[in-house]
Formats: sequence, C-alpha cells, structure tokens
Amino acid sequence: MSLATGLLSRAWVRWAITAVVVVVLFVLPLQLDEYTNQNLARIGVFAVAVLGLNVVMGYTGQVSLGQIFFVGAGAYVTGYGASHDWNIVLVFVASVLVPGVIGLLVALAAARLGGLAIAMVTIALPIVGVPFAKRLSDFTGGSQGMSSAFSNAPGWTGLYNDQWQLYIVLVVGGAVFLLIRNLVRGKYGRAFAIVKDNEAVAASMGISPYRYKVLAFTVASLIGGASGFLYMAVIQFTSPETMSFGHSITLLASMVIGGAASILGSLLGGAYYVLVPQWSNDIDPNLTELLQGALLLLTLLLLPGGLATLPRVLARTLRRTRTPDPSERRQTPSAPPAPGRASVEETPTVGGIPAQSPTERQEQA
Amino acid sequence: MKRKKNVRLTGAIALISAVAVSLTGCGGRDDDSSGGARGASTGITDTTVTLGVTTPLSGATAGPGTCTVAGLKAYFGAVNAKGGVKFGDGKTRKVEIKAQDDAYDPQKAKSNYDQLKGSVFAMTSGLGTPTNRAYREAAIADKVPQVLVMTGDPIFSDTKESPEQLGFVPTYVNEGEAFGKLLAASGQDHKVAILSQNDDYGQGYVEGFKKGVEGASNISIVKELTYEATDTSVDAQITQLAGTHADVVFNAMSITPLAIASLQKAQQLNWKPSWFLPSNTSSPKAILEPGKAMAYPGVYSVSFAKAPQSPAFAGDEDVKTFLSDLKQYADYPDMPAFPHCMWSYMVGATLDQAFQKMKEPTREGFMKSLRDIKDFTAPLMLEGTSVDTTVDGQPAVSSVVVQKYNGTGYATVENFG
Repeated sequence: MSLATGLLSRAWVRWAITAVVVVVLFVLPLQLDEYTNQNLARIGVFAVAVLGLNVVMGYTGQVSLGQIFFVGAGAYVTGYGASHDWNIVLVFVASVLVPGVIGLLVALAAARLGGLAIAMVTIALPIVGVPFAKRLSDFTGGSQGMSSAFSNAPGWTGLYNDQWQLYIVLVVGGAVFLLIRNLVRGKYGRAFAIVKDNEAVAASMGISPYRYKVLAFTVASLIGGASGFLYMAVIQFTSPETMSFGHSITLLASMVIGGAASILGSLLGGAYYVLVPQWSNDIDPNLTELLQGALLLLTLLLLPGGLATLPRVLARTLRRTRTPDPSERRQTPSAPPAPGRASVEETPTVGGIPAQSPTERQEQA
Repeated sequence: MKRKKNVRLTGAIALISAVAVSLTGCGGRDDDSSGGARGASTGITDTTVTLGVTTPLSGATAGPGTCTVAGLKAYFGAVNAKGGVKFGDGKTRKVEIKAQDDAYDPQKAKSNYDQLKGSVFAMTSGLGTPTNRAYREAAIADKVPQVLVMTGDPIFSDTKESPEQLGFVPTYVNEGEAFGKLLAASGQDHKVAILSQNDDYGQGYVEGFKKGVEGASNISIVKELTYEATDTSVDAQITQLAGTHADVVFNAMSITPLAIASLQKAQQLNWKPSWFLPSNTSSPKAILEPGKAMAYPGVYSVSFAKAPQSPAFAGDEDVKTFLSDLKQYADYPDMPAFPHCMWSYMVGATLDQAFQKMKEPTREGFMKSLRDIKDFTAPLMLEGTSVDTTVDGQPAVSSVVVQKYNGTGYATVENFG
C-alpha cells in the first residue's frame, strides 16, 4: 500500500493517470452498448442535479426541497429554445441563467428567514412549478409536455445518438463537477462549512451567513439549470410531471445516500437515482417503492455518511482488526475528508463552539 | 497537504474507471440489434412473443396502472394455458409480458423503454399521456410498435405524426361528441351550461360536445366557465351557472372531490339540471352516491366496457370469465376498481386478433395487421361499441355509448330524458 501511495505521490504518475482516465472516458462511449450509454448519460444528468443540492445542503447546511424545480425550469428553457432554433450555446446559457435568476430571487427572500423556513419556501417551488407549467401552455406545451430532438448526433460525427448524448453529458457534467470541486475546496467552501457549523462564529469571522447562503442557493439553482439542459439532451422530453415534488425528495435521498458534502457522493447519488428504480423493477415491478425504501433504510443504517464513506468505513474496520499502531492513529484521524456531520461531531469544542473549523483540521490531515 | 488529497482523488477516479472498464468488458457495439429484414424481429421466436409495458405501478396512479397490466396478464394467461396464439404464419406462440413501473415519471418511462426495447416485440397498454409521449419519438426512430396505449391524447392515433403508434381508449373528443349527439337528437329545446377544466382534457371534451351539437337549433349553450386543475373549489362557478337556469350541465371535470362538490353545491342552490360527467369521474360509489346524484333528473356518462360491479352484468359470461382469469392469471383477486382492468383485457383480445392475422413475424407485418381490424367486438365490450383500427386519426376504440345512472349503476340509453 505504501508503495502505491509512494508512486501516486509523484507528479508524473498522477498526470499519467489523469490522462488515462480522460482517454478512457472518451473511448468508453464508443465501446459500450446503447443501453449502457443511455444509462450512464442519465446518471450524469442526475449526478449534476444532486451536486447542486449538495452545494446548498451538504456543504452549506441549508435544507432545500426544491431542487427539482430548477431542473425542470432548465429543461423547459432548453426545450423552448431548441424548438425555436436558438443557437445551442445560447440555449445552454439561458437554461442555466433563467433558473439561476429565479433561485437568486427566491434566495434573497428565503435566506433571511433561515432555519426551517427556508425549507418551507423551497417546498413551494415544485408545488407552484407544476401548475405553472400546465398553465403556460404557450411556452411549455401544457400538460402534454414538450419534446425536442436537438441532441441527436449530427451527421458529420458518424456517431450514434446515445454516444453523442453521453459526450454532451461528459463535457457539460465534467465541467460543472470540476468547477464545483474547485469552489468547495477553496475560500468559498471554507466559508460554506463555517456557515453550516455555526452562523454566529461565521459572523464573528467576518463571513456574512446571509450572503453565503444566497450564494450557495444561487449556485445550486444554476447547477439545477445545467442539469435540466442535460435532462432535455438525454431524455428529450419534459412535462409538468418532471417537476413533481416527489422527485425532489428522491433527489434529497440520493444526496444523503451518495454522501452529503462529497463530490464523489454526488456521482454515487446520481447512480442511485437512476439505477435503483431499475433494479427494483427487475426484482418485482409491483414492489418498487417498498424495495427502494428498504434499501434507503439499510444504507443509512450501515453507512450513515453515505456510500462515499464506504472505503473509509472499510479501512477503519480493517485497521481495527490489525494491531493498533498508536502513532499512525494519531496522525490520521478516523474520518479525514468529511466536512460533513461526522467531522462536526468529532470536532473538539470549547463551550459548544468548534475549537477548530473542520476544514482547517482537514488541511492539517 | 493538498497533494495528498489529490492523490486520493486521482486514485479514486482511477479505481472507478478500472471498475467501469472491467465491468463492461470488451463489448464493442453490436451493430444492427433489430435483426435483418429477412428474419424475425426482436422479441419474437418460433414459440414465444414478448410484449413490454411501462406503466405506473407505484405512486398516485398505481391503481389504474396496476389494472393496465392485470387485464393483459389475465387475457394472455388464459390464452397461454390453452396453448398460445395461432399466428398467421402457422406457428403457435405463447405471449410473455414484461411489465415495469414508471411511477408516472416520463424520465423513468423512457428509461424502461430503453431497457425493454432490446428484448420486446412491441410496447403496449401503458397508462399516461406524458409517460407515453416521453418515448414516442424514440419508438418511431427505433421502429418499435407502441400500440393500444391508454391515453386520450389524439397524437397517438395520427398515422402521419405517429407511424408506430395507436391509441386504444376513446379520445376526450369522442366522449364529448357522443353526449352532444344524444342531446341534439332529443328534439326538445335545451339550455346547456358548460364547466370545464382549463387544459387539454377539458378543452377536448368541450370541443367534442360542440361538434356533437353543431347545427342543432334546439341546443343553446348559455354559459361557459372554466376552472384550474389545482383549484380546491368550484362553488363560485356553479353558483354563476345556476343563475342561467340551464337544464343541462356539461361538466368536463377530472378531479373526484370537485365533481362531488359540484353535485352537492347545485342541490344547495336548488338547481336541478341533468348532468353529463366524463367516464373517469362518474363512478357510482366514489362520486354519485356521496354527491346524492338521485336528486337530479338524470346523470349521464359514457362507456364502452361492461362494469363487473353492476348487477346488470352479474350473470354475463364475459364478465364471469374475465373475473376468473383476473384471479387466476393476474393475481388480482378483488373486484376491479378501475375500468383500466377491462380495457387492458380488451387490448389483449385486440392484439390476439392482430397476431392471428400477421403473416410474417416482423414488426412491420404486425403493424399492418393491427391497422386492419374492423368491427371486432372484444370481450366485455358494450353493445354498440367495437374495435376499429382502420380509421386514421381515431384510436382503436372510438365508439362509446351514453349511459344513465339508475341509482345503483349505469344503463345504456338511446334517448335523452
């Protein structure tokens, strides 16, 4: 293991691995069968949606139950733009900006309320969104929905539609993931974490909880819009049911199961959102909800931190079975990269206020 | 310590990619999965044919959704038990059904379709307009039949727009028109008040009704109001309509509690017109009894299926076979609560007809013979209705009969009044 770590710590090895991964990702769609490609693309769509939810809930700790509204809004803007032959870049920008602006306006009001009130305001979004989509039938196609085949593979590529769509997802989704990874690991990520832990401490450090909550919420809705663009590119159809409130709850469950405040967890959450209904269908189509509920409970009981913590939990179990080495234990705390709940609980506190912010602690790890 | 984190991330990504690659193995693209023109299409062999269904089996529409599978399983379960369907090419095949839950979510419906299309001969019987629309274009591109689906959306019956599709149930327009014609034929003067849901559902009914009464001088529409599907009360609209003293209310409403409330409200206002209610909001037990519908001179609705609950059909042979098939082959021991159970049973019978006629085991051959069924009375169909797939722009069943509530159930009527 130390040999592998030693190898990995060399810069050229890491670059080589990154290059290999990129090459693999670009070759893979050509090699896989149609159904796998379509499934991977779907996972990408919802991984991006879960990532957006993670920014506002996982990293900043604000309960949002309205993420699906932004996905739906992005999908509708994409569908409308594509059916009116807008330039594809313009369609993408609009599908991100329109939900973003709505999110900003909602957040400006909702973040003042704080706490559970923000959750209540966000519940209203999908509940208002569905009848809105039905009524504005000139823009949305009413309750019959709208379809758009703008993402079919252009002739010059010689690709199948599913391959082309997966490339769209890889490029857009990859860019969003990279941007958000950098966002949450930098100054803003630290500010989000402090706002999540304790708003009073944040304020005392010159970090305005209000501003960062609005920022997180707006970023989440921008990402929701991007996810909506991908939704339209992959599913090629949207209707008011896309925004139904139940899907928001499923997104939330996916985030928790994947792993809150985790980039990898967002990917796993997207996979959960897409694959689990399929698996439960394969087992017994009449028991899908029951099976999904059971799996949800099981995951949360065994892996309270989500699937992303699985390697860590395994490593800890392994370490326990080996002879404990005290020096090693001290250097690597049991839960290093978790600015989530686990680390909050473990953070040493002075009169209820964390003695160190979790991100600081993580930097030392 | 930034480097260490990067190491971990890179390691993780490398691991994922390795897993992804090893999972998928070296499977290149299998070109032409739909089979050549000479051989049989996907999903059909010399001994079996497989049908795919994506329909809501969980969530708010699970009740009707479950019925869309149960009736189909009941019909083909009985047929398989007798050996199978004798196809037009001389071979006898058993019919297998692969049903999947889409929870009325278009995204899941598309995903189910993507999964099923590699192994099924045709998609059928699924319930829901958005869920069927979600994979309509994909089915056209893949040339996979998506037939006899349960949606009143006319696009599925338009051969130009939907070459691989055919709807099964009458459109909203068909239903409204049937009542309009009956009213126009009454010969008496009628003042009609219209209340409709402000979407394609309500508009379809009103359009059909107006088509039915077109040119009839004895019918005057005195007032037309709408409500939104999200409204919690229509008391204001009913009060306004009561002011017109119309003797007929055409109520194109799909929300059960609102339908009950409007029947009650009119009685409170001592306004006693005759009512028309759409087929899905006319249930005797769920709507008319709580709405005290016997207070009115008549409550009319339309139907094309025999209702097993109705005492009039208790001894009917079709109904008896249907109920026992449902129990034996579809694991549905109760009295069907939704008409979709009967409808999907008829879908089975209609597919059976198409199978018997198709000469080649191909999807093209199937679509051709499916579009060539005329005057077929499927089991459970009411007298005066039949399956006719030859008319462009119309679903497989476009004929409905008007029925009047008699205190316990519905009975077919020839004349209004």
